[in-house]
Amino acid sequence: MKKAPYKRKPGDLEIRILKNGKVVMVAPDETLVKIAQVVDPEHCATQHNTETKENARRQKGESH
Amino acid sequence: MDHQAHRKIPERVKLAREALANCNLCPRQCGVDRTAGQKGYCGIDDTVRCFREMLYCGEENELNPSHQIHFAGCNLRCEFCILSEWNEQPMAAKEIDFDDMAGKIIDRWSKGAKTLNVLGGEPAVNLHGVLELLGRVKPEIKVVWNSNMYYNEIVDKLITGLIDVYLADFKCGNNRCAEDLLGANDYMEIVKENILRAVNRADVIIRHVIMPGHSQCCLKPILTWLADKLPDVKLSLRDNYVPPVQVASAPSGYLTQEEMQKAVGLAKSMGLNLIK
Repeated sequence: MKKAPYKRKPGDLEIRILKNGKVVMVAPDETLVKIAQVVDPEHCATQHNTETKENARRQKGESH
Repeated sequence: MDHQAHRKIPERVKLAREALANCNLCPRQCGVDRTAGQKGYCGIDDTVRCFREMLYCGEENELNPSHQIHFAGCNLRCEFCILSEWNEQPMAAKEIDFDDMAGKIIDRWSKGAKTLNVLGGEPAVNLHGVLELLGRVKPEIKVVWNSNMYYNEIVDKLITGLIDVYLADFKCGNNRCAEDLLGANDYMEIVKENILRAVNRADVIIRHVIMPGHSQCCLKPILTWLADKLPDVKLSLRDNYVPPVQVASAPSGYLTQEEMQKAVGLAKSMGLNLIK
């Protein structure tokens, strides 16, 4: 008898490794996204760092 | 956000809360009294719950980095939903502390967030919570309404002027697929109506996650409709369909590069405004 696959519950994370070697993170949370950025920076590029300085300036400007 | 609309948020929160007493926010028309603890199709009462907030760079380029706030509860049951566990048990999510969340918005903003992205689940069934939150942030924040667009007119009325970008998820191109895959046999009429309203309100991005094997029945009708009604609207074709572990009606495989290229080619041949 075939067992039913595990069904995700709230709070679970799912990573799939496909036959072709591709890794799929299903609805990754922030921690998984950070891991993906380390593992594969080319495909998980982020504007984060360049944006940060600009936003800090914006926020500072607004507070005056 | 429009400053005048922002000033009217307290009134709108009141109206949204009143609507929960006989909830008809979405086409499910459950009519339950969520203020009395009853739950309709979306599975939530009048509490506002969030199961994830994060800075995300996987949205469309112009929105990234985007501060996502995932509200629990959804009015669709997409078989391929990658967050289905939360939609099935939305009450398992933590209740939002609005002051705390407003603080997180400021923090994320300082860390580079370009947009505030309200999503779910489905933000429409959390209308009162979304409004409550927007009332606590500066109107300068750029707000993205990341929605399945399956909601009634009252939602449109109460968010008008508060949204900078409607990120409209157009999932299926016909009601048969919508019934099989999303559990909504009136999907097309409702979503088209709401998209047409949205383009009169703010910037709109139509997002379609291409489903393997659904190019004729879903992709093509959506593109044809857009070419006819909204040829200049921004269109985002996504290749990140993830098949569910156990399949009933949904496609069981991943999208191939060939299918993606064909989809992009079709959109280009229709002169549509593709974005990434």
